[in-house]
Amino acid sequence: MTGLVKLGFMPLDDAAGLIAAKALGFFADEGLNVELSREASWATIRDKVAVGALDGAHMLAPMVLAQSLGIGSEATPMIAPLALATDGAAITLSTRLGLGAGPSAVGLAELVAQRREMESSPLTFSVVFPFSTHNYLLRLWMAQVGLDPDRDVRIVVAPPPRMAELLAGGVIEGFCVGEPWSAVAVDAGVGVVAARAAAIAPRAPDKVFATTRAWAGENPEVLQALLRALLRGLEWADAPENRKTLAALLAEPAHIGVPADLIAAGLRHVVFHRDSVARPEPAQAGWLIAQMQRWGQVPADADLAAALAVYAPEMHDRAAGLA
Amino acid sequence: MRVLVIDPDSARAALVAEGLAGVDPLEVRHRPFYDEAEAAAFAPDVVVVATESPDRDTIDSLRDASLANPRPVVMFVDRSEPGLAEAAVRAGVAAYVVDGLAPGRVRGVLEVAMSRFQLMNQLRKDLDKAKADLASRKTIERAKALLMKERGLEEEDAYKLLRKLSMDTGRPLGAVAADLLAFAGVLKGDAS
Repeated sequence: MTGLVKLGFMPLDDAAGLIAAKALGFFADEGLNVELSREASWATIRDKVAVGALDGAHMLAPMVLAQSLGIGSEATPMIAPLALATDGAAITLSTRLGLGAGPSAVGLAELVAQRREMESSPLTFSVVFPFSTHNYLLRLWMAQVGLDPDRDVRIVVAPPPRMAELLAGGVIEGFCVGEPWSAVAVDAGVGVVAARAAAIAPRAPDKVFATTRAWAGENPEVLQALLRALLRGLEWADAPENRKTLAALLAEPAHIGVPADLIAAGLRHVVFHRDSVARPEPAQAGWLIAQMQRWGQVPADADLAAALAVYAPEMHDRAAGLA
Repeated sequence: MRVLVIDPDSARAALVAEGLAGVDPLEVRHRPFYDEAEAAAFAPDVVVVATESPDRDTIDSLRDASLANPRPVVMFVDRSEPGLAEAAVRAGVAAYVVDGLAPGRVRGVLEVAMSRFQLMNQLRKDLDKAKADLASRKTIERAKALLMKERGLEEEDAYKLLRKLSMDTGRPLGAVAADLLAFAGVLKGDAS
């Protein structure tokens, strides 16, 4: 057994790889003693990993790139050797907007134009973090129908578990967040799904498993063992015959704490392992950097080569037995 | 200087606010969660937030100035004080400041908040331990009573037997007592 390895996660369906690897004993099979800790915010995960209060975590891929570049926090060189999930996010709009059962971006654009004529306040949308695939998906979805996400609407940040309540209270009119939080809003009758991530940018990079470059350098064998266990966790989570068990596992209060049927509804969209999605492709880091640049998040002098080097497919390949 | 403390643990927030009241001219408010309109009306110079608050990402995102957010904030990291930011994260607290405040004054606020967090966390730990100790004492009493009844032992001998079991197995007295009660339950058919 190694010393205690502390990993953090946020209450989302796409933390399944970590939760399954722990619950099914895949970490233990590798001789690892892993403690999972549920965290309340992405900023706290980022900071805890940076100072070593966590050894690694379920993290937003663009947040990891921003952290390496020192945008939005102190610069900490990071490594992302594994992608944890894709296609799990969705854009959900308030039923109050009256855009019907299958609202479209075009419908939203018309509503925004009407409201502008009536001099109503701009609609407010929520994402989970400034550096998140959710933020970029929402902006892409709006921009493709000519909406300017910085001028025509307001985009704010709110915690995923609170999205449905904010929608119900009329504080926000829509959000883009990972499952099960769209399923929760739909079930509560306050939201309707307008677009799934797969319809906006299929297989877009979303969550990764990441550590600091320093920790990875000091613990290469522990990291490989973690990656092998996580790959098993992802493969298990992806298998259709395991999804029911997975939903029940994620539903536990210590994990997500949402009824299993809602978890299962959201899980139908999440891809964990098939088609090699767990491999952190450098092209995906490039796609994320392009999104960050498009929306003015990256200063002109940023070291983009350093950001690209965060994605470490060679570590994945070694753990997967491909190299 | 106005300080807003956001902490879902209201008792801890009150303790932090009370500690900050001793720092130079200061107006302190504490809330269990972050409310945009309320924060805009109060216009804090410093926001102290518990890292276990789900609202931390919202506060962390207020870095850019906009019409709705005329006073952008940055996370307070004092480079003249190495290790301070790390200690704060470990204590479970983060501070965001409106640009332009003297770092010395903010550091004072953060240090008070950190010490109060540590104090509260220690109190909570002590309380949990006291509860566990009490539960363990009750278990020992019950195990003792069981031995007295089933083996016809005097109270002191029953206790000695438990202590011997504890020493022989190298396990705490409470754990041995709990095992004994559980086994007795199984033998009686309470649990199968």
